[in-house]
Amino acid sequence: MNDIRIRQFLASAAVWSFVGLGHASSAELVSIELLPSSRTLSGADATQRLLVVGRYTDGRERDVTSSAHWSVSDPQILALDADAILSGRSDGEAEVRATVEEKQSTARFRVSDSAKKRPFSFAREIGGVLTRRGCNGASCHGGVKGKNGFKLSDNAEHPHEDYEWIVKGGVYQVLSSESGGPRTPRIDKDNPENSLLLLKPTMQVVHGGGIRFEKGSNDYKKILEWVRAGAPYGEEQTADTRLTGLSIEPELLLLKPSETHRLLVTGRQANGVEEDLTADVFYELEDTDIAEVSDSGVVRAKHPGEVTVLVRAAGRMSGFQIGVIGPEPDQYPEVAPTNFIDDHIFSKLRKFNIIPSEPSSDAEFLRRVCLDVTGTLPPPARVREFLSDNDPRKRDKLIDILLDSPEYVDYWTYRFSDFLRVAIFALGNNSKWSQDYWEWIRASIAENKPYDQVARERIAAQGYSGPSRHFLPIAVIGPPPDTMMEETRVFMGRRFDCARCHDHPYENWTQNQFWGLTAFFGHVFRTGTSGRDSVIFDYPMGKQIAPDVVGARELRILHPRTGEEMPPTLLDGTVLTHKNQKSVRQELAEWMTAHPYFAEAAVNRIWSLFLPRGIVDPVDDFRSTNPATHPELLQALAEDFAANGYDLKRLIRLIVSSKTYQLSSMTNETNRADRTNYSHALPRPLDAEVLLDAISTVTGVPAMFTAYGPGAPRGESQMPLGTKAIQLRETDLFKSLFLDIYGRPNRAAVPERNTKPNLKQALHVLVGSTFNETLWNEGARVYDLYESGASDNKIIEELYLAALTRYPTAAEFRDLKGLIAKAASREEGLRHLQWGLLSSREFAENH
Amino acid sequence: MKRIGCQCASEQEWSRRDFVKVGSLGFLGMHLSQSLLLEQALAARTGNTPGGKAKSVIVIWLEGGPSQKDTFDPKPSSAFRPISTNVPGIQVSELLPQLAKRMDKLSIIRSMRSFGDDHPQATHYAATGHELNPAMKFPSWGSIVGKELGPTNALPPYVFVPSWDNKKQYEDYFRSAFLGPDYDPMMIPDPAKDGFEVADLSLPKSLAPAAMSERMEFQKVIDRMYRSRVESLEHAAMDSFTQKAWEMILAPEVRHAFDLSQESEKTKDTYGRDTVGLSLLLSRRLVESGVRFVTAAGYHGNSWDTHSKNDTGHRDRLCPPLDKSLSTLIDDLVDRGLYDSTVVVAMGEFGRTPEHNPALGRDHWPNCWSILLGGGGIQGGRVVGASDERGAYIADRRVMVGDLFATVYKALGIDWTKEYMTPIGRPLKIANSIDDTTGEPVHELF
Repeated sequence: MNDIRIRQFLASAAVWSFVGLGHASSAELVSIELLPSSRTLSGADATQRLLVVGRYTDGRERDVTSSAHWSVSDPQILALDADAILSGRSDGEAEVRATVEEKQSTARFRVSDSAKKRPFSFAREIGGVLTRRGCNGASCHGGVKGKNGFKLSDNAEHPHEDYEWIVKGGVYQVLSSESGGPRTPRIDKDNPENSLLLLKPTMQVVHGGGIRFEKGSNDYKKILEWVRAGAPYGEEQTADTRLTGLSIEPELLLLKPSETHRLLVTGRQANGVEEDLTADVFYELEDTDIAEVSDSGVVRAKHPGEVTVLVRAAGRMSGFQIGVIGPEPDQYPEVAPTNFIDDHIFSKLRKFNIIPSEPSSDAEFLRRVCLDVTGTLPPPARVREFLSDNDPRKRDKLIDILLDSPEYVDYWTYRFSDFLRVAIFALGNNSKWSQDYWEWIRASIAENKPYDQVARERIAAQGYSGPSRHFLPIAVIGPPPDTMMEETRVFMGRRFDCARCHDHPYENWTQNQFWGLTAFFGHVFRTGTSGRDSVIFDYPMGKQIAPDVVGARELRILHPRTGEEMPPTLLDGTVLTHKNQKSVRQELAEWMTAHPYFAEAAVNRIWSLFLPRGIVDPVDDFRSTNPATHPELLQALAEDFAANGYDLKRLIRLIVSSKTYQLSSMTNETNRADRTNYSHALPRPLDAEVLLDAISTVTGVPAMFTAYGPGAPRGESQMPLGTKAIQLRETDLFKSLFLDIYGRPNRAAVPERNTKPNLKQALHVLVGSTFNETLWNEGARVYDLYESGASDNKIIEELYLAALTRYPTAAEFRDLKGLIAKAASREEGLRHLQWGLLSSREFAENH
Repeated sequence: MKRIGCQCASEQEWSRRDFVKVGSLGFLGMHLSQSLLLEQALAARTGNTPGGKAKSVIVIWLEGGPSQKDTFDPKPSSAFRPISTNVPGIQVSELLPQLAKRMDKLSIIRSMRSFGDDHPQATHYAATGHELNPAMKFPSWGSIVGKELGPTNALPPYVFVPSWDNKKQYEDYFRSAFLGPDYDPMMIPDPAKDGFEVADLSLPKSLAPAAMSERMEFQKVIDRMYRSRVESLEHAAMDSFTQKAWEMILAPEVRHAFDLSQESEKTKDTYGRDTVGLSLLLSRRLVESGVRFVTAAGYHGNSWDTHSKNDTGHRDRLCPPLDKSLSTLIDDLVDRGLYDSTVVVAMGEFGRTPEHNPALGRDHWPNCWSILLGGGGIQGGRVVGASDERGAYIADRRVMVGDLFATVYKALGIDWTKEYMTPIGRPLKIANSIDDTTGEPVHELF
């Protein structure tokens, strides 16, 4: 009787059909593109590197610059050297044409001010050397406190401070604008060669950072000449000439081992002027086993993998990715996309020569989607029904059923309660407050409230409302910078923490931006002392609280360095003045939810709950040094989410109906090592609460939840029997050794779940109550089956369906029955059987 | 991979960002010989850390915050008179007569400063050296000691006894944060409660070791197909934990460490049969068995939080068990030859207001308060710092919580200037003092 079922289980729903591939060597050139396509060369020394990218029939792009034939329409205006570096000769316009295998591409250049020498600028010239040579990186002198008593600003972003440090010397102090103590100039105007700024980087005296440039090199001469000239500051950088953009071409490089590719790095000033910085930046790679980049911007691929390159120019930083692809497979499957998610995922897999795993079987899919959408295992009857259903649309129908189920509301309330922090309310455990907050979340999930509205309601929460209780985590209003960091981390996916005390060392965030955003929360205040009478409101701007008011505090947000009051200021520098009708927080909430970061952070978070990792991971740590694996997919998802009313259910449906989500967890030769490209499902341990519920479901013995205090509704200490862990408002309020061991997050801070196995889990599995005291109770699943006279076969099958959402194989039936027969008694054997299931990784993981 | 970087001597955890640095330096062509020299220099520095006699720490957690004036920093305005100790010139409150006789073993810091006017904030600060921050979790010093020194045997390096029944949120402040579950404290129930037993350390009575191996056979059959289809590093991790767990369950020394029935009735009486006394007795057993850091928190429930009737509370309820059990612990450690390798600290999260409130209580006071410490190479019979006449503000030598951490780290041979790199790339001092400075060991205590 079981053979059919076994075959059903083993046969996947669909199997990729493979097509043979031509070999890469036969790829032919389709077209070429000359980059940049146009540019103005301004000033006597201006140069521009050229890059010719060839597109081939195999879908790849290669650097064909070195095989190009060149022609310049007017050699009086433009000159091109052997390295494809262009310089201006006289003012005017001219065209450059590149020809490769009869394919052509042209670009147009304008030369202006060709006789005009650019005035010296400390920021650009000396700042350029210090950046290009890695002196002012965050791990060296650009660190928050500098290094060994010498502090430079990151990427020379504060050239005046750098100038001060170099010419006069300085002493670094955190959180203070004043420096004290002895000052050591780093240059010696009387003996320029003896300047520390030259002796150190050339290792003429000991330098912890090693040799940064050689004595006599161009950079050496540049500094020496500058000191000889009296170390002038030179041209003042204006708002116009400040670097506001740094672009790298190509944005994504795909290379095979030992291939090389030129880069083009272009800096853009606020006034629109663009200049070639390819040889004037510092390339920082996190893994030089995968690829290397030379000083002049030539990438050499080494071993398969992906690596992020940080590009640091004086005044600006950016990043891009290099992918080194593996060997071409002989054949590649044709995978028809279900929606745009698959387009992005599969096209990248194709580029990297990674073959996706096959589609999941019905049983695999059923278990995965039930756990991911509802946190609940399907009962055996539903498993049987689904596996035997022949409707080709059964997966889509199931998804709809799950999205409309009460379990969906339970589960997503629980998930939201995590990152929105329904926290224990200390100091008297005001459970009423967390109840109100939790009910607001639950109602929002139940009505599928647009996610942007959820965010606005919380950020701008006022009065007695549920979300306003979030501002009362420990009965006092939390410090405004902390509140700001939390809101931006949760809703914008960015962590501004570092910028609190100094400009962010790895990002372009400044301390001014930090305190400007913080100022939005400066006036949050409460009246009343406890219980429901605490009203959250914003104290009017410009007013101070009378000192005799309970909890009176300084409402102004003072910049820690300047000591001056910071007005509420958005990231782009817009200062908000108070208007009559709206609170500043309301304005912030509207700005924040309309900002592109918002939708991006939201879809990334939701995505990570269904797939092995966030497109940016960790999900709330967006930064240039932590790039997205699929930036275009992230953008497409964000745009789709925003365009469709921030509809959570719609987003979930989109994700779980994609082929990407529905891939099997069984790997192949090409995708085994992949952890970032979603080429297969990656097993994940169940969250503590979900696992506990699953154990209760399988055994039929519900867990008891007794509160430490009055945690249950209406002040009771005991939740009704049968309450699931995912239905608890705050799991922390309840005694549970199991949840302690498997890790329920404390929500005192934005929780980060750690589901990795640990020793305490192993102990609990072996001898703990959850795995031992639930195996033979009246009313329990196996006990009742046993009492009703069910056969071993029947019991094994029921348990498999309940725990693993699949039928046992013939071999499993045979071996398990053998083991039951060998046990001291049948009862003992059936207890062992249950323990074996509950302790298996197949049960403990979502796969 | 090793960090070979600009010479930041006391270095950090290896994180993804370290690879950035190593990568860039490798790229710039730092020679291997140079990097080796740097590495040697680093090793020399940590190896030279002075102190380092101690192997373990016991913190007696005085939850709620004791009144400095009524305990370790007697003042004329206290209701209790000062008494002399066995160290000339040092006086303590008359409520601590037994400890007074052991003053040569213990020192007092009378100028502690911390932040946080209320229990959650102050407890967090005292346990981690950092102010509470909803955007980030910080590892407790117990977890840091556990990580730096590591376990000595099958026992976990950090134990907390007893776990909370209420106020569970404080528990988080004593955890490992990003250091991971290996350095979370093992939470032990109240040893003074009937039927005290540490969960999950012994086989259920109904189950023989042979039956346990039968069970493993079932699991093997059930997981066979899955494990052949799905590859995961976590399976191997879980298997090794299971192996270790099995050893722990069968190892006598583990159960032995927690088994208070091994102690004579007389010993239990001298420590005190209450939660405070038995937690300290258990701490001694654990330290003896090789545990690195024990927080003995017998005073749960904000016991010392005497907002009303401060004086009678200190006199009748709070000081006697402390005086009795801590004195016994010190004698016991000395007798067993463990005092030189065990740092003992008695502290709360803050002190109490110098003046009484209308309810005859004293309220929270982080501005100046006292702690008691000794053992493990930390000298006894000394007083560090001083409060002003009222016992209100620091008159001499401020000691931050981060300085206390640095002191204990030094005694343990841990480089207190060390920084960890958090997962988001923020460096974190293991001894964090005020204004982003590194804590300094209290040199007067060595």
